[in-house]
Amino acid sequence: MSIQTSMPIISMRHVDKHFGQLHVLRDINLDVAKGEVVVLIGPSGSGKSTLCRTINRLETIDSGEILFEGKPLPQEGKELAAMRAEIGMVFQSFNLFAHKTILDNVTMGPVEVLHRPRKEAEAEAMELLDRVGVAAQAHKVPAQLSGGQQQRVAIARSLAMHPKAMLFDEPTSALDPEMINEVLDVMVELAGMGMTMVVVTHEMNFARRVSNRVVFMADGQIVEQNTPDEFFDHPKSERAKDFLDSIKGH
Amino acid sequence: MGVSEVFAEFGDVYLQSLLSTWLMTAVCFAGGLALGILATVLRVSPIKPLRVAGDIYVQLFRNIPTVSLLVIFVYALPYLGLMLSYRTCLLACVILVVSSFASENFMSGINAIGAGQIEAARSIGLSFVQIIRLIVIPQSLRTTVLPMTNLLIATLLTTAMGSQVPLTPPELTGMVNYVNSRSVAGISAFVLSAICYAGTSVVIGFLGNKLDEKVRIVR
Ligand SMILES: Nc1ncnc2c1ncn2[C@@H]1O[C@H](COP(=O)(O)OP(=O)(O)OP(=O)(O)O)[C@@H](O)[C@H]1O
Ligand SMILES: [Mg+2]
Repeated sequence: MSIQTSMPIISMRHVDKHFGQLHVLRDINLDVAKGEVVVLIGPSGSGKSTLCRTINRLETIDSGEILFEGKPLPQEGKELAAMRAEIGMVFQSFNLFAHKTILDNVTMGPVEVLHRPRKEAEAEAMELLDRVGVAAQAHKVPAQLSGGQQQRVAIARSLAMHPKAMLFDEPTSALDPEMINEVLDVMVELAGMGMTMVVVTHEMNFARRVSNRVVFMADGQIVEQNTPDEFFDHPKSERAKDFLDSIKGH
Repeated sequence: MGVSEVFAEFGDVYLQSLLSTWLMTAVCFAGGLALGILATVLRVSPIKPLRVAGDIYVQLFRNIPTVSLLVIFVYALPYLGLMLSYRTCLLACVILVVSSFASENFMSGINAIGAGQIEAARSIGLSFVQIIRLIVIPQSLRTTVLPMTNLLIATLLTTAMGSQVPLTPPELTGMVNYVNSRSVAGISAFVLSAICYAGTSVVIGFLGNKLDEKVRIVR
């Protein structure tokens, strides 16, 4: 695939991180090409969330480096905020702003960070809400929406910033089963439009359908990576085999 | 003298002192909220010395009896070359105390926000100051209406500290001394002041509940 050869938009080199004594990321090397969809998978506590969060520096790293579009992540301040504005992030627990309407949740970034005129931002927000199927809820507050709807709003909130890449940390694992697909459908559509995505998820169907690569982590290390079909059908490491057996059991 | 007689003779001065109490309450509460927000911003800032300074400030003024603070202001500050009027001393003391309690209320409001929303705000590129202004302050204001209502009532009652220093016009409690030094009103003067305090508190409590119903954040 041609995307594998272009310059990586995200590049992690020899990244290490500890939480106190705990070595959560061990010599992580990972390149994500523009337009690529990478699924991160692995047992609980293996460091998937932490890896994801280091990419927009919600977590700092101890050593190594992370490049976004070829430039090292800024340490702090204005530059860091500006870089974060270019990377969308969707959380397991939605994290919508509880005191704002759905519409205001989506326009806050464009208005406050990108300084777009409110009218214009609202018009675009309505289009985005329509695209993810929650335009009718625009004037409600988050608590009035179902989990699936809230997560779709969270995706729209990220998209409103026109991100160059998006991070998803288990976006469907807090959802009731019947709502999982409505969120995955939105993500599939995004992938189809060429969005660069790093997705922590155990949804194998999603991984097979849209990801270019599955990265398997255990104990803070990348143990193996491959195309989704290769990885799920012919895992190489014992750790991956055990892990796949354990999730297939459910 | 009965309550009605006290009222007949001193009604207009009572009204003046009631207004004075209300005005001091409003000034102290507004000042306390403003300073309380400032202290809270320090306490949640990413810079450790500022956090420590904020914590010390709150512990200091929350744990000193207002009357001791007033004594310090009135008698000790002049030694440091700072001469303030009695009213200024009183207002400053009450504002300091109120601000420390207000900050405690804000902190509990902030704890209710949860780290997730703050992380979401950071990841769309909002700065620390924007997050404070757009997320933290509005949400903690709206979740702390009831405790702040209680604090407003406490502020009202604390202005009674004004009876310990000479003020013109006196506030409601100082007014009792004023009346009793000019007549034999006795307990009636206290009752009249108590009615004013209680009436004001009931109205504040009622309005506080109404406001809370209106702005409370559903989670
Ligand atoms: N803020 C933190 N402080 C201390 N330890 C942490 C912190 N965050 C995570 N950890 C620990 O770091 C390790 C990796 O956590 P991480 O959340 O990245 O794992 P994960 O692969 O996302 O797991 P899960 O599938 O359960 O979400 C775990 O042992 C976790 O307990
Ligand atoms: Mg995780």
